[in-house]
Amino acid sequence: MRKAKLWGLLGMLFVSELQAAAGQAEEKKILTEGETLNYHCVYTRKHSQSQKAWQRVMDGGKAETLAFTEKTSKNSQELGGRYFLEDNTTQGAVHVRMTNVQMSDSGLYRCVIYPILSNPEVLESLRLVVTKGPSDSPSPDKNPPRDKAQTTTFPPATKAPVTQPPPKSTAGVSRPGLEVNPTHVTDVTRISVFSIVIPVACALVTKSLVLTVLFAVTQKSFGS
Amino acid sequence: MSSPCALLAWTFLTLLGLGVAQEDLTPCSPIVPRREWRALPSTCKQRLDLPVRCVVVSHTAGSPCDTPASCMRQVQNVQHYHVRTRGWCDVTYNFLIGEDGLVYEGRGWDIQGAHAGGGWNSKSIGISFMGNYMDRAPPQRALRAAQSLLACGVARGALSPNYEVKGHRDVQQTLSPGDQLYEIIQTWPHYRY
Repeated sequence: MRKAKLWGLLGMLFVSELQAAAGQAEEKKILTEGETLNYHCVYTRKHSQSQKAWQRVMDGGKAETLAFTEKTSKNSQELGGRYFLEDNTTQGAVHVRMTNVQMSDSGLYRCVIYPILSNPEVLESLRLVVTKGPSDSPSPDKNPPRDKAQTTTFPPATKAPVTQPPPKSTAGVSRPGLEVNPTHVTDVTRISVFSIVIPVACALVTKSLVLTVLFAVTQKSFGS
Repeated sequence: MSSPCALLAWTFLTLLGLGVAQEDLTPCSPIVPRREWRALPSTCKQRLDLPVRCVVVSHTAGSPCDTPASCMRQVQNVQHYHVRTRGWCDVTYNFLIGEDGLVYEGRGWDIQGAHAGGGWNSKSIGISFMGNYMDRAPPQRALRAAQSLLACGVARGALSPNYEVKGHRDVQQTLSPGDQLYEIIQTWPHYRY
């Protein structure tokens, strides 16, 4: 019995640690192929004189530096021409621009202080997800005009996942076919209703599950 | 009770406990809504991506107020200055704190503020204490109101549970929130330089 209690406590600790780890700051942006990423890495004044770099973090933790700001100009060199950094030291933000994003660009990125130490000082992390756009390349006969009209309208609010707000457009990013204006307000209220109903439903289900288990367990122990 | 059954029961209890903690709908302390302090309508459109991870604390550097009546007038003054004189779409802060111990709704949780420069505005909630806190500190009831507001933000999912508090001078070149108030917020548990 004592062993079971110990395992139970360990279990609780483990799960709460997972929760804490899940709370680590990581922004997420979803773009379609061909769009430009416009992202601001913010930093406090202690870093206003430092140079910054933009890195991509590979699976396994190894980071590749894509661009870094110059000492004097505060802008980045043009390494390959796709990544641009502009450090606005009075506003405390690095404007990161990645042009013509592709699905292969999906992954984890981060702003760090440059020169990069063995244990780098990370300013912000960004999870970029690049999705395939509406079919630009004409597929033979499989996409009649009606299908195209369907793909360009925003999916109904009731299907939107509760844990994730609908993708918002950032400054400078154009989203072809996004029809937001008339239905947006009602979408928002519908989502907020669901964000109450679903957690409550989950709570009820969890509680009834627990009661069932406890009931079964007590029955068994009284019966045996 | 056999050990595997006990372990199973413990696991379910753990999950239940965590579930309850997350779905607890904590009521927030009263905030004076815009209509009540007779705000000019906002023309701001830019929404905030919630939850945000930062709170920027500033001061208005203007006159303080210590009664609900005088604070109501003072919030109006601040908004008028921002909208009529500076031409912004609304008062720049998400919330204002009066020395009457009340929180006044500015742009609120959902609309981006204009309190700390481009990048920071889109990633933070800006709260401002009404007054100038270089040489004096805000009263305890004002500080309590601010803390309660931030706890409310977490409960509503507007602030991340591990949100960070920064002083305005930490993100822009300014004296705001004033030496005395800055010293106080540095002692807050969520403060990170």
